[in-house]
Amino acid sequence: MDRQQIGLKLTMDALGLPLSVGSFDDRLILQKIVVIAQIAGVDLGYHFHWYLRGPYSPALTRDAFAVANEAEVFVTDAAGCHLDEASLKRLAQLRTLVATKDRGDLASKLELLGSTVFLLHRRGISGDDTAELQRILKAYGKDFSMAQIDSGLRELDEYGLWSSGSK
Amino acid sequence: MNMASGAAVRNDKLIVDSVHGDIHLRPIERTVVDTASFQRLRHLKQLGMAQVTYPNATHTRFAHSIGVLGIMEHIIRVAKSPLGLSDEQQEDIRLAGLLHDVGHYPYSHLMEKVDKVQLAEEIVDGSSTINASVVKYPNHEEIGRLIVTKQDDLIHALGGLERATRVADLFTRETTSDPQLSKLIHSSMDMDRLDYLLRDAQAAGVPYGHIDLNYLLHNFRTSPSGMLGVDEKALTAVEHFLFARFFMHKTVYYHKTTFAIEEASRQLLRRVRDANKYNIPADGNAVKTIVSGTDLGTFTDAFVDRIIESAATDDDPVISALANCIRRRKPPKLLKEVCVLEPNQEQHHAGSTFRQNCRHQLRSLAEKHSLPLGRFLVCKTLPLTLEERGAQLTEEQARNLAPEEREELIKVFVRGDDEPVSVVNIRHSVLHICSNHFFQSYRLYFVSADGDPESLVHMLKSDVANWDAT
Repeated sequence: MDRQQIGLKLTMDALGLPLSVGSFDDRLILQKIVVIAQIAGVDLGYHFHWYLRGPYSPALTRDAFAVANEAEVFVTDAAGCHLDEASLKRLAQLRTLVATKDRGDLASKLELLGSTVFLLHRRGISGDDTAELQRILKAYGKDFSMAQIDSGLRELDEYGLWSSGSK
Repeated sequence: MNMASGAAVRNDKLIVDSVHGDIHLRPIERTVVDTASFQRLRHLKQLGMAQVTYPNATHTRFAHSIGVLGIMEHIIRVAKSPLGLSDEQQEDIRLAGLLHDVGHYPYSHLMEKVDKVQLAEEIVDGSSTINASVVKYPNHEEIGRLIVTKQDDLIHALGGLERATRVADLFTRETTSDPQLSKLIHSSMDMDRLDYLLRDAQAAGVPYGHIDLNYLLHNFRTSPSGMLGVDEKALTAVEHFLFARFFMHKTVYYHKTTFAIEEASRQLLRRVRDANKYNIPADGNAVKTIVSGTDLGTFTDAFVDRIIESAATDDDPVISALANCIRRRKPPKLLKEVCVLEPNQEQHHAGSTFRQNCRHQLRSLAEKHSLPLGRFLVCKTLPLTLEERGAQLTEEQARNLAPEEREELIKVFVRGDDEPVSVVNIRHSVLHICSNHFFQSYRLYFVSADGDPESLVHMLKSDVANWDAT
């Protein structure tokens, strides 16, 4: 297990999320929470592209399978490893964002938040005009309602991932 | 194979490629190739430090990029009608193929992977801080995007920032890119691999990468949903392609000597960066500054060579030992190698036992011989499977993949079906059985230094001989 994979596992642990790859929802949750964590300043070194379900990193998928397949090796390989204090603090703030119990609900929520925050940051799109954001999300295959987008933006604001008038 | 086509026109520039034969560059491609930003690729060896083992493996990212353009010509011919590609889209795809590697680091993947490196003391002590607050070195695609959209020569050659961005978006698969066009560049059996297997095998002088490119290209098809795949009659060529990739990794990319000197280089760069010495970029932001500005031309293999040369007289005995073994071409000695071929997800095997013993016994061994831990390189190759992604999945999982995940699998059109399926799911394919296993090599190397007793390596080998036994 290399340092990037150890960093990934420690990040998921700090968020209180299992690093599961068994179902599509598991992998979607993983992809979207890592993109959110990286935008929050916890840089794990993954580069995200835009695919049908939003931001996606093939390298992250590969590492996630590798870590999941070597779960027992991880216990020894990373026994004394830890993330830096600033990252741990930031991840602790994000824990409540992912506290949703139902995996399907969490996947839907993170698909909205991950896609939105990725577009806001990567494409420099303003979130102040919700109708415009909805149009852009739809153009990228994301058919979210205005209410869902408004709610998502409020949540991103609450966690310091975006603020009104920031762009 | 000859890439010449009827589409060639008088203004094309002809390049004779040692792998593919004639490749025609259109005027805009010629302008791109002539930029200083693209010419930098002449100074990046495609196979990193493999020339230590294979003296002729000195071919460059430049030649590979031209080769990918040549293959792209064929793919476009197959895909343009089903996908309804306009002339401009075809030109964009060709440019994206040509520029897909423009962001490679010195010695290709060697420097790019520094953030993944684990040092012996971290493995043995089991304690270290992963600093995720520091910006990591970006991957080469992200760097490529920066170069294409920030370097004036490329922007100008591409006719302006708008097109430069569009082309970069294609090979980095950015939010604005057309997914259909990106697929042509990023599908699992992509142009990149089709070229590098042949080129690397020819340069290294080994037969393992000699895939049946002509037959594969002539049997490419696109589905109504835009999926790229290969007709079932070329299944053997697909199987051969995947075995070729497997064998090239075993023999060339993970060769024990090449791997040793590259691992020594990775560990040297990591240590030098941690110590903030010799002008190595401190983090990802520093890399971005280099590639976005006027220093891009210096970011070649020579950039790393200079660091190695400077580090040879470093006060830190581990840094100087690593640097000297690289510059003198005296690769670290392989003390022990444990190879495993196991079913996927098997975690208990001789390799994991060996690594555990390295963890628990290496400190004692180093102390016994009064050696710094850093002169031992504890490493393993990536797990190697025949189908990189498909092999990790059960059949059930493979059926439930998201479109983006499915795209990474090599797909075959089974007779009578409109949409292709993953090759590992074809029951009469040898891959259906063989891809359920992975190969991995666990290795312990030792970096020799001036003043070591002559018998030291022999003694160390003897000491670790049984470390794979429980």
